[in-house]
Amino acid sequence: MNRGQRIILALTACMMMLMCLTGCWNRRELNAISVVLAMGIDWVDDQYQLTVQVSDPSQMSMNRSVGQRSPSIVFTEKAPTIFEALRKITTKASRRMYLSHMRIVIINEEIANRGIRMPLDFLFRDHEVRPDFYMAVAKGCDAKDVLAMVTPMEVLPAMDLYKSLSVSEHAWAPTSAVNVVDLMQMVTKDGVEPVLTGITLIGNREKGMKIDNVKQPRAYSEYKYTGIGVLLDDRIVGWLNEQDSKGYSYITNNVDSTVGHVKCPDSKENFVIEVYSSHADITPSIRNGKPKITVVLRSEANIGEYQCKADLADEKVFSQLQEQARMEQKMTLENGIKQVQHKYGSDIYGFGEAFHRKYPKLWQSWKKRWPEIFKNELEVDVIVKSELHKTGKILNSIAKQP
Amino acid sequence: MTADGFSPLLHANIERMKLLMGYSSDFIVRELVIAGNRRTALFYLDGMVDKTELQDSVISALLDRTPVESVNLEMLKDQVLDTGDVCVIRTVEAALEQIFSGSLFLMLDGVVDGLSVAIPGWEDRAITESKTQSVVRGPQDSFTETLRTNTTLVRRRVKDTRLRLITLKVGQMTKTDVTVMYMDGLADEKQLRKLIGRLRDSKQDRVLEGEYLEEMLHERKQLTIFPTIYNTDRPDTIAAGIMEGKVALFVDGTPFVMLTPALFVDFIQSAEDYYQRPFYSNLIRLLRYVALSICLLAPSVYIALTTFHQDMLPTQLLLSLAAQREGVPLPAFIEALLMEATFEILREAGIRMPRTIGQAVSIVGTIVIGQAAVEASIVSAAMVIIVSITAISSFVIPAYVMSIPIRIIRFVFMALAASFGVYGLTIGIIILVVHLCHLRSFGLPYLSPSAPFHASQQSDAIFRMPYWKSTQGQTKQGRSS
Repeated sequence: MNRGQRIILALTACMMMLMCLTGCWNRRELNAISVVLAMGIDWVDDQYQLTVQVSDPSQMSMNRSVGQRSPSIVFTEKAPTIFEALRKITTKASRRMYLSHMRIVIINEEIANRGIRMPLDFLFRDHEVRPDFYMAVAKGCDAKDVLAMVTPMEVLPAMDLYKSLSVSEHAWAPTSAVNVVDLMQMVTKDGVEPVLTGITLIGNREKGMKIDNVKQPRAYSEYKYTGIGVLLDDRIVGWLNEQDSKGYSYITNNVDSTVGHVKCPDSKENFVIEVYSSHADITPSIRNGKPKITVVLRSEANIGEYQCKADLADEKVFSQLQEQARMEQKMTLENGIKQVQHKYGSDIYGFGEAFHRKYPKLWQSWKKRWPEIFKNELEVDVIVKSELHKTGKILNSIAKQP
Repeated sequence: MTADGFSPLLHANIERMKLLMGYSSDFIVRELVIAGNRRTALFYLDGMVDKTELQDSVISALLDRTPVESVNLEMLKDQVLDTGDVCVIRTVEAALEQIFSGSLFLMLDGVVDGLSVAIPGWEDRAITESKTQSVVRGPQDSFTETLRTNTTLVRRRVKDTRLRLITLKVGQMTKTDVTVMYMDGLADEKQLRKLIGRLRDSKQDRVLEGEYLEEMLHERKQLTIFPTIYNTDRPDTIAAGIMEGKVALFVDGTPFVMLTPALFVDFIQSAEDYYQRPFYSNLIRLLRYVALSICLLAPSVYIALTTFHQDMLPTQLLLSLAAQREGVPLPAFIEALLMEATFEILREAGIRMPRTIGQAVSIVGTIVIGQAAVEASIVSAAMVIIVSITAISSFVIPAYVMSIPIRIIRFVFMALAASFGVYGLTIGIIILVVHLCHLRSFGLPYLSPSAPFHASQQSDAIFRMPYWKSTQGQTKQGRSS
């Protein structure tokens, strides 16, 4: 083979390799696309109402006058399917919607009640969508309203929603930042049911959609993440309150750090423990042919606030407080589990999965009946081995020396 | 016509020499009468010989000290002329050659031979600091245009009997002295013979700089834009190279000395690396490789990411890039091409311009590139950053000859990135590496000692080990064998 032939062969090989590139390969300039940062899906009048929030790049740039135009633009369109609705938006917008950077998808309660599988199909199927966005359910309002709100901190509302969710998950346990991949895994896996965090709007919604919303220190309207919504299969069946949501976060090891009040051993006042490390082990076992789950929670905490009268310098008092804190945590976990077990019958903790792992053969016979077993037969034992460590910068509350 | 000998008649010889030189105004023929009645003639080129030496050691000596009886060349050579280099010349050709190299040619009436007296004395530049590869710590001298000064600078550093010099004359018109310097026993004999053979067979009519020879010395059938011969004006680099078994090529009239074989890593190393602590110099080397990659890839990666793979950027970065591109009318590729071309123009202008205008160009350059273009929304600020970092990175590569191919390939990569995205870029890099692997310099694979990998030679390849860890001579010597 001579040199020329070799070069032609190499070029042909390169061309052939081009064939492997399907779908994603497309050239587009940055100023020909609209970056979709948040998407809202509502079920209105028996069809999907799709809302997208895109950024207005001219408002993001440093050397242009900020404040003349809104930094985010919201488009809404209705269609029987989501893809159609998305393409219909091009009749209202000058640029193609670019979905790779979607940060959050908000669905309304109707969608959650109807099942999230259908609407999610498009988001998983489309090559452009990167499945790393969060999902939340709008409670008592439409997703469209949430996306149209002007948020105080971040210029882009979608970024505000996104950051707020991930920060609160880390510092305040009763929200759950559910990544859509995890969600889909929980939907498809046996023995574990998904959850979704809720979001709601408070205050004057009409005023909240105007740019005036952020022109005074106190916004007319604000959003708020509320507790965790329990799904059975892909439908929402109910909401957990704050305490039960926290219990869920403890058991699924989603607690990075959280705070909680505990009753003082000697008075009506409270003291606060700041949990900074927590780990829960789920151990399945079978007793008398019946499934049993033992949850062992090991957490480490400091005292964050102290309103009790007892002298903290006393070692006995300190161990009393520790005991009290353990009781409180045990209550939280047990109440939460009981609530979920008997009221919703949805195994959001993944107890079934634990059985699946340990008793794979037995699981096959339980698999079909698992929701029922979980609801009626499963016994759950909670053991809390938490420890209190430090008291903070001061020992007792500030008081006059006796 | 010139290969034959002289005639016994002095005036015939004088006429012949004058005719050969075409009565050039700088060709001087000085006629003297020595030892009472013996006619003699001195031929030299004005400006090529040392005037004081001509006066003191030749003319005065001949006039005052020549004994009257039996004057002959042997006697003059042995007793009268008190300069170092005197030899008997028998042909006209040899005589001319000596005259051209700054010798004086002496003829006696009635003798068919002549004497050449080497008293060269032309103006040359003093040894100054290296202009192209300066160091903070380390020797500050550099080569000059004079061959002998240059070889001495190296000889002074390597006091070893194995250091050999072979001098040839290359170029039919210029008859340039070319000296091949190597360490006997360390340099590759076969390649050395090939090199000298090629120099001898050269049909070049002029050699004004090393480059005239460099192109001839490249491996045959090897088409590349990468340099396979190193050049420097630093004597310490050449001395170090020779002790590693490399071959140096000195060309008279240029301060740049060539060194071969030259591997890819050699162009990324600087003399300074050896004069600083290994920890520091290794960090700097690492930095150079980073700069090399930036210089090669930054604009193309930017183009690929912003026009094909927006999903690979973090959201905040994408939004800020999008904000900057807002209102820019050109596609990213054209934008990059425009800025890179502007920069290359400014660089070329800066190199060739008289020093005094330099400032004006840099002001225009900064304002045109930096500010006005962004404010007029012709290019985005991000692109200016990319082009600037690319430009600065290209100056980090210590060997100027290496930054040239990198700059050229950058444009190819930009085109690849603009048409095929990261895929095109990957293909480009693969082809580049294959090409580099394919290259050879003086018989050695260009990418050695990394490809093919030699663990024993890693002590000064990409990183330099401390001196106590590696005895330099031993480890590097293997590279050329």
